[in-house]
Amino acid sequence: MRSATARMGRLAITLALTIVAISAVYPLLFMLITSLKSHGDYIRSPISLPAHWTNLDNYTAMFNRFDVGRLYANSVIYVAAAWLICLAVSLPAAFAFAKLEFPGRRLLFVALICSLAIPTVTFIIPDYVLLADLGIIDSPISVILLWSATGTPGTVFLLAAFMRSLPSEVIDAAAVDGAGYFQTMRRVILPMSLPAIVTVTIFDVTGWWNDLLTPLVFLQSESQATITLGVATIVTRYQSDLPLLIAGLVMAALPPIAVYVVAQRYIRRGLVLGAVQ
Amino acid sequence: MTETVTAGQRVAPGTTPVRRARSRRRRRDTLIGLLSVLPALVLVAALMWYPLVTTVYHGFTDWDGVVTKWVGLDNYRQLFGDGDIWQYLRTNLVFFLSIPVILVISLVVAVLLHEQTPGARFFRSVYYLPCMLSVAVVGLLMRSMFAPDGMANRSLSAVGLGGLATDWLAYTVTSFLVLILAFYWQTLGQGALIFLAGLSAMPSSVVEAAQVDGAGWWRRLFRIVLPMQTPAISYFLVTNTAYVFVGLFSLIFTVTRGGPGSTTVPLDYEIYLSAFQSGDLGYASAVSVVLLVLVSIIAWLQVRNFDLYSRQGGR
Repeated sequence: MRSATARMGRLAITLALTIVAISAVYPLLFMLITSLKSHGDYIRSPISLPAHWTNLDNYTAMFNRFDVGRLYANSVIYVAAAWLICLAVSLPAAFAFAKLEFPGRRLLFVALICSLAIPTVTFIIPDYVLLADLGIIDSPISVILLWSATGTPGTVFLLAAFMRSLPSEVIDAAAVDGAGYFQTMRRVILPMSLPAIVTVTIFDVTGWWNDLLTPLVFLQSESQATITLGVATIVTRYQSDLPLLIAGLVMAALPPIAVYVVAQRYIRRGLVLGAVQ
Repeated sequence: MTETVTAGQRVAPGTTPVRRARSRRRRRDTLIGLLSVLPALVLVAALMWYPLVTTVYHGFTDWDGVVTKWVGLDNYRQLFGDGDIWQYLRTNLVFFLSIPVILVISLVVAVLLHEQTPGARFFRSVYYLPCMLSVAVVGLLMRSMFAPDGMANRSLSAVGLGGLATDWLAYTVTSFLVLILAFYWQTLGQGALIFLAGLSAMPSSVVEAAQVDGAGWWRRLFRIVLPMQTPAISYFLVTNTAYVFVGLFSLIFTVTRGGPGSTTVPLDYEIYLSAFQSGDLGYASAVSVVLLVLVSIIAWLQVRNFDLYSRQGGR
């Protein structure tokens, strides 16, 4: 009797979770299915399955009509450059905040952490004017600079939190062995901080890849656009051909999803950092 | 090298060579420390702090990017006196009021997931998928699904509910429905994972003790499990409150563009509109300052929560 109700409960729970899962995945499936349909197919019925599952016309059209290859390359280059700058300034800063004693340490750290809460939209106007005066508007440099600056507070915070738990003895031992600052960084700090570096990289990189506001404000030429900006502005102009637009959405969404599939573990860990200590 | 003396920490203190070495080390730490944080601070100061200060200043001016004219409180008078602000804040508030519902849904999903049903790991992975997408992608997808002859209306007709089909983005109320649906879709996974982490961190001894005492499942849930989730719940509330006050830009830009009329314009979208569409940079700066004040309040709440719970956890 008891086990029967327990089994019924299990079943009900699984059923409820399945329904939620379907509603979570359905829009994604709709996206994928629609991108494989021809425009005519879609007009006839937006909810049916595609006539030919191997119809990649929309994807080839994206490459031929909108130069998606270029947009992808732009996104990859901008994100990679921002990542390099952000890590180059954040790693030493995080190490100093975590392991070194120097005057003003606490104050500077708090100031940096408070910057985490400042929304980009509140300072993007003066930044635009500033960078326009320097002549780097409609240039990847503006987006790269903005991304690396806005990414820095969070990156320092996460790296410093991790580095604080590294054993000081190992770092001191490196100093005893006569290792200089850069050697200690490269041989000791970097390898030991790798898990934290992977976590911040995933969050920074997907955040920048998905960002719309910064490239929208700073990049005017279509040839400079990122993939996210490209589908949101250029491709939307052809909204009458919906399957085409949706193929664009799939292409913008694929890299972050690929990252998720590969690095789920890190994302889960990073996400709950603030929730439970 | 003298550093060898300090290396093995806590060597008998007080002896002079040790003290001298220590002070030398301190001086070296100071230099390296300051040099290490300098590049990060310069980057953040140049592109975040300095511009922020000028935003506050420009809130009191009429500014077109080149010429600045001091106008005192004119921008704020227009914002508060003419009531513009309430129009924008209303949009933020509608989103804000929608948070409790997704909180409950996420919490329920997490509790069910925690019951170790078969496939819990699979479900957990699937729920988070939408959270990886760009808000812009989700917005455009929603926009196309809720187009007049889009998937939503066709599905309603297909199941005989054609009467409910409507031009979703032509009316304020239905526009909000679509926007909030998009918001929920991208928040569920985050919420479920946060609460699941909170539930897993719960010491099982507490729950077992209650079980031994004969407390039923529901009683355990409401008396023990949920109260222990307060830190996770407040974290979820604060991050999402921050989101609905400062992070709506991409969603609004891709789904409604603030329409119909300007009934779905939130604060951050208005900053973009008045700055980059109307070129009224002074007014946009004033709206930015208001947004900043709101954010400071939310951030203060967050810090307070964090302090509160980490102190409790430490005990």
